[in-house]
Amino acid sequence: MAPNTEHALRPLRLDTDLRDMGVLRLARASRPGRDAAPKPGADPLGHLLARAGRGDQAAFADLYDHLAPMVYGVVLKVVRDPSQSEEVAQEVFVELWRLAARYDGTKGTVTAWAATMAHRRAIDRVRSEQSARDRVAREVSNVVLDHDDVAGTVETEVDRDLDRARVRRALDRLSPVQREAVELAYFGGHTYREVAVLLDVAEGTVKTRIRDGMIRLRDELGETA
Amino acid sequence: MSSDIDIHHLGAAYTLDALDERERMAFEAHYPSCDVCRADVLAFRAALAQVASAQTTPPPRALKAAVMAEVARTRQLSPLLPDRVSDLAERRRRRQRTIGGFLAAAAAVVLVLGAAVVLGRGGEPAYATALAQVLDAPDGTVLTLEPSDAMGAGASVKVAWSAQEGMAVVIADGLPATPTGMAYELWFIGSGDPEPMGMLERVDAGELHAVLDIDGDPTAWGVTVEPDGGSPAPTGDILFLGAA
Ligand SMILES: [Zn+2]
Repeated sequence: MAPNTEHALRPLRLDTDLRDMGVLRLARASRPGRDAAPKPGADPLGHLLARAGRGDQAAFADLYDHLAPMVYGVVLKVVRDPSQSEEVAQEVFVELWRLAARYDGTKGTVTAWAATMAHRRAIDRVRSEQSARDRVAREVSNVVLDHDDVAGTVETEVDRDLDRARVRRALDRLSPVQREAVELAYFGGHTYREVAVLLDVAEGTVKTRIRDGMIRLRDELGETA
Repeated sequence: MSSDIDIHHLGAAYTLDALDERERMAFEAHYPSCDVCRADVLAFRAALAQVASAQTTPPPRALKAAVMAEVARTRQLSPLLPDRVSDLAERRRRRQRTIGGFLAAAAAVVLVLGAAVVLGRGGEPAYATALAQVLDAPDGTVLTLEPSDAMGAGASVKVAWSAQEGMAVVIADGLPATPTGMAYELWFIGSGDPEPMGMLERVDAGELHAVLDIDGDPTAWGVTVEPDGGSPAPTGDILFLGAA
């Protein structure tokens, strides 16, 4: 393999060659704005994660107690199979441990980080395991999803009940078709294209329902995760 | 592939993990530099965290013990770079084994690198336009490079390219800081020795988008850490590797 010019062999200096072109500035400017960042100390799990990031296993065990009911609950909701869900939840926690020192508070709370990771891992599991067609077939008869799973271990029952009531109220503010599309995507683990097939509506319609539904949910729930 | 008009509307589906791989990649290329979409992603994730927090199920009792046992034997990633192996020969041997494995599986196709590099600017950045062009090409290919164990899943490097369009788009995110005097270097791996494609300087958010002119089809891509200014051949561990 021969480069066609001598110039091509020179390693590209992204730092010097490209600074003039505004790229590095662009990337820097792309960080979440300070206004968007949670206030320091606003995230009660931030301290636990910071200690875990320094190798403190006891702190990580505490973090596990706070997050496990949510992580396992989300994974179970998407994956359905309890033993597979247990495997996926374990992967999520080991990943949280490994990456603890790299957590970036400007990109959301610890809970949001863990929820994102749990959902992504669960999705990876179901999408790698089955063809989308199989899942669509299985889901057609199971479109209605419940919201009344049982409570966890660390937070008080009252806290959990309040959380659930608040989320249920917020979900109730979505139109039925918005809620259906959001839930099929989030809990059903479907892409919006699959949701369109499931509901037999246009992809653009599903995209709009998902977007409008998430905007409503965001407005109802505020930005405190 | 959505049109440019649509891309600002994908944040909701993205945070629900409801985009297909191409759209996800396009959106991940787009949103960090778009104020509106970045705010959407943060806010939608915050809302979903609450939905998730209302979705609790008591985990199996055995899970905690299993997690903590795994934690006890799992090395954490440094906030900075993974430790470098001090023995150069060992490093080189392991690297050649890794590269050899990919080469055995990949057809040897000659790639001649063009000299020009174009990177995006603000507004609708050039890389997003280039990415759309690459992904819309009939031979457009997306590859997520496999991170080595030392990197972990938090860091990602994706390459999209089209030989027909003569273009490759590199999107890196979550890369940890390199030690002073060191930087990430991107490699094209073909039939011969790895060819340097350029240095990926750590930026604040660990994000970098690069558009490279290519001439030909690659067989594999790799990323190492090298002294500033780059090495003519890789000397550091392969941190990301993907066979085309
Ligand atoms: Zn946007």
